[in-house]
Amino acid sequence: MSTHAPETRVASTGQQSFLARQQRWVPLLAALAFLLIASSYLYRGGFYGQLVTQMLIFAIAAMGVGFLGGYGGMVSLGQASFLGLGAYGVAVPMADGTGPWTAVAISLVVTLAVALVTGLLAVRVRGISFVIMTLALGQILFGLASSWVDLSGGDNGLIIPVAPVLGPLDLNDPTVLSFAVLVVFVLAALALRTFVASPFGLALRGIKSNEQRLKTLGYATRLHLYISWVISVMFAGVAGILFVFTNGLITPTALDFGHNGIVTLMAVIGGLGTLWGPTVGAIVIMLFQNYLSLYFERWATVMGIAFVAVVIFAPEGLWGLVTKFARRLTRQKPQPGQLGINEVPVGGSAAETDTTMPDPTTEKVQQ
Amino acid sequence: MNQFIVQTLNGLTLAGIMFLVSSGFTLVFGVMRITNLAHGAIYLLGGYIAYSTIQLVGNFFVGVIVAGVAMALLGIVLERTLIKRMRGQVMAELLATLGLVYVMNDLALAIWGGDPLSLRLPGVLRESSTLPGGIVYPNGRLFILVLAVAIGLALYFLLRRTRVGAIVRAGVDNKAMVSAMGINVRLVFTMVFALGALLAGVGGALGGTVLSLAPNADAEILTFALVVVIVGGLGSFEGAVLGSLIVGLLSNYGQAYFPALAYFALFAPLVLVLLVRPQGLLGRTAA
Repeated sequence: MSTHAPETRVASTGQQSFLARQQRWVPLLAALAFLLIASSYLYRGGFYGQLVTQMLIFAIAAMGVGFLGGYGGMVSLGQASFLGLGAYGVAVPMADGTGPWTAVAISLVVTLAVALVTGLLAVRVRGISFVIMTLALGQILFGLASSWVDLSGGDNGLIIPVAPVLGPLDLNDPTVLSFAVLVVFVLAALALRTFVASPFGLALRGIKSNEQRLKTLGYATRLHLYISWVISVMFAGVAGILFVFTNGLITPTALDFGHNGIVTLMAVIGGLGTLWGPTVGAIVIMLFQNYLSLYFERWATVMGIAFVAVVIFAPEGLWGLVTKFARRLTRQKPQPGQLGINEVPVGGSAAETDTTMPDPTTEKVQQ
Repeated sequence: MNQFIVQTLNGLTLAGIMFLVSSGFTLVFGVMRITNLAHGAIYLLGGYIAYSTIQLVGNFFVGVIVAGVAMALLGIVLERTLIKRMRGQVMAELLATLGLVYVMNDLALAIWGGDPLSLRLPGVLRESSTLPGGIVYPNGRLFILVLAVAIGLALYFLLRRTRVGAIVRAGVDNKAMVSAMGINVRLVFTMVFALGALLAGVGGALGGTVLSLAPNADAEILTFALVVVIVGGLGSFEGAVLGSLIVGLLSNYGQAYFPALAYFALFAPLVLVLLVRPQGLLGRTAA
């Protein structure tokens, strides 16, 4: 939510249109409208309340992919499996009779431990090899969830009997739980926004465009990528905790290749390296999955084709298109020296364009 | 001891199927830098087409050939219509093939349904032989093993001893120079992509005799192929052979002796290789 961007950040392109002068209000209004609409659905509950809750949960996981892929240049294909890890982290101790809060703590610790260990592998490879490695890691977690029956309950999965109680707030009430999800979502988005704008975030973008140069400048590039990996995995873990409490159930299917792909699709369709893209992607894809599927059995085919079309025709993603359009409305010129899709070196991420690598002066529009 | 030998043979059979799938994957990657995530879906589709052909014609071998040819044609169509739009944009290509996975799997589900299918081997291949040492082993698995080795040798001959192979290997090293020599690189790309798809299709037809064909079988075989190429080295044909042997044997021993933790048998070689030699055992550079 780019509501607090200081005045100095506003792009100064001389003559500005009315829209351009008013533009700092646009993101604030959009964010408020989003919160209001989401809240009204959550308050009413039912099918759509549940759907919006799940959208927010997957948006958190997809944000992790979008952040690591868009700012760090490492596209993960294992995020749903880490989401599942967070969910099993809660479900396995609770199956043994542990209380919900202790289970949440255990889940966070386990996910952090796995993130710290897998991060050692993740930073050793780049580009395509990274994608393949995350896919393999995700499939291994899926395999463990389905074949380690003593621990995971096998294909039947594990059921969560109760949700935690937070003071006067009883999260066993679906409405309260939904709003708790919204709060976590907002906190995650704010944290990510702060993080991306920090010197660390800027260094990360530098690593994405030219790791060698940043290394020469004395940056600990591997440490930057390592920390980013851990953050991205933790986003999935937190989403997994929310997922298991809202669904009351976790099965290995949630960790499979199809779901891993879908979380990545969310981030890419929305726009890698944009703060709101993954959320937009999560909304669009969950509508495909839950709404289109009511009317059209072959929704997955439509989703696949739509995804291929986005990759070919709008590699900056849907949110990228929105910001491009907004920029055109406010008559800002594209910043010089930005990478077009055809100038991306082999081994780098091709799903990036001018709108995904913002100059600090246009950051407001970006978000 | 006999049990161990049987498990080793099972592991080698699995390695043979993995080799067919991963050699196509690694060949396409080596020449074109395309990470084809739809490779597993092509394997599954090949298996399904072989199943339907065998139902229709009643001949196993016709089924295998039809599966291979159909997948090669699919490969040509995909390369000419889709992949060429993204030439050189490695991440876009990878993501587009991810989109294809959903399309292909959904259509396969619509046609063949979600129940696991398996292919029946013909005649004598359904029986078992007694090997030296008194081990009784199914002929079908021995047949798969022999066929995988034969295909592997044929590929090796094609890549190392023929003009076409020389062009392909040169393409791996320096595409611009190959193009400058007056060779139609476009055609080479299409043919390599078709060959990769053909190998996956044949792999699916053979794999369908020992592994079941069902939704998600594609993801499983893709994982095997990915671990094989990471361990062996992305783009290296010899790496695919070595990786298949390591992953096939370890994976089968894991499933036989520690079924709950079988997936750690995949994880261990992956971790070791990434820590010690990130480019893979026989890979030249980290891709």
